[in-house]
Amino acid sequence: MPMKWTPVLAAPAAIMLIAPASATIYLTVDQAQQAIFPGTAVSPTGQPGVFRASNGGYLIIDRVIGKHEYIKFAVGINANGTIKQIEILEYSESYGYEVRDANWRAQFVGKSATSPLQLNVDINNISGATLSSRHLTEGIKRIMTMYQSSLRGR
Amino acid sequence: MRRARPLLGTYVDIEASGRADPVLERAVNAAFEAVARVHRLMSFHDSNSDISRLNRRAAHEPVAVDRWTATVLRQARRIFEATDGLFDCAVGHELMQRGLLPSQDLDHVERGTFSGVELLRDHRVRFSAGIAIDLGGIAKGFAVDRAIAALRGHGVREAVVNAGGDMRVMGDTPRPIHVRCPSDGPCLVPAGLLQNGAVATSSAMTTVARGPARLAQSMQSAAACIDRKAYSVVAPTCLLADALTKVLVQVGDIHADYFGNFGACAFITSAAAVNDRAA
Repeated sequence: MPMKWTPVLAAPAAIMLIAPASATIYLTVDQAQQAIFPGTAVSPTGQPGVFRASNGGYLIIDRVIGKHEYIKFAVGINANGTIKQIEILEYSESYGYEVRDANWRAQFVGKSATSPLQLNVDINNISGATLSSRHLTEGIKRIMTMYQSSLRGR
Repeated sequence: MRRARPLLGTYVDIEASGRADPVLERAVNAAFEAVARVHRLMSFHDSNSDISRLNRRAAHEPVAVDRWTATVLRQARRIFEATDGLFDCAVGHELMQRGLLPSQDLDHVERGTFSGVELLRDHRVRFSAGIAIDLGGIAKGFAVDRAIAALRGHGVREAVVNAGGDMRVMGDTPRPIHVRCPSDGPCLVPAGLLQNGAVATSSAMTTVARGPARLAQSMQSAAACIDRKAYSVVAPTCLLADALTKVLVQVGDIHADYFGNFGACAFITSAAAVNDRAA
């Protein structure tokens, strides 16, 4: 299967719109429990966002909010205090978006051209200068500090 | 099935379809594991990575590396030679001087080029000068390629792997690609439809210039502040796309032979141009 690239044609007119935050939901909390602790019972601890696995591990749900992004994530922690797995549950970013006339959009988005501005469903594949995950890294450090000070060994 | 994890200093997003859920689950996990392996081997920040070991010791003695690291270095050499030195991973010195990379244990490092990297037999590597290499301009693309290979190995034929902006799509479904443009706020511009290929994008801010196009360091930082362009390359592999964006930032010419020679296609998106057209 050879590569095929079809660039968009030059547009006759263009307007700039500010799109609302477009969100991707990767996993629900239940699905994250299954993905990180498969086959293991996971139950709430009473503390919001903190779950305990029957094997001594923990699952902690938290979120980070950056300048343009909102990220909800789950950290699975092994009974020995090491990180088992990290999964992103939700990711959203707000963008300005260039929208051109309907004919132009018809050739590009195809079947969804009749439903204008379905930005949340249509925009999946974004290429750009690398996004930094620094905010999330800091969020994970925060969780591991909380785990060490108040959950470990309980 | 779509999943995302923080790896390679960014968010890696993997979407796979066309197989039963348990198959996709295993395939996606294997793809993330491939990305994590590239991260462990090639991070400048991790003192145990192949790259850190090379930068500390390869100027003194041959250092054995993983076969994946050897593969990336061979590709880096090929692209370095084919682009007249414009693509150059031996930019550790410049990046350390700018404070973008840690310089611990690297006092011996000086300015140099990738011509100082000797690829020996049995995945061993020696530096003929006190250089430091950083695979930031190519390893992310390689990681995306390995993730696609892992998915394919599990029987997946429709997938997208996006490592924070460097992505590869597999399958016959034409996928709309958008480019995120540097501007006052993030701005998306539709770029085209892609099947069975990769696309990567860089900005001038994150690229060290090489060769005749090299600007004085202060000039380059000033230029980066006013250059709000996204430099993108579409190529058969993400390693190529990733590496060639660094060439495009420097030559600024989408028609340069370098791209066609690799079966690639370059384009530049400007948020300023979008604003101009909108006015």
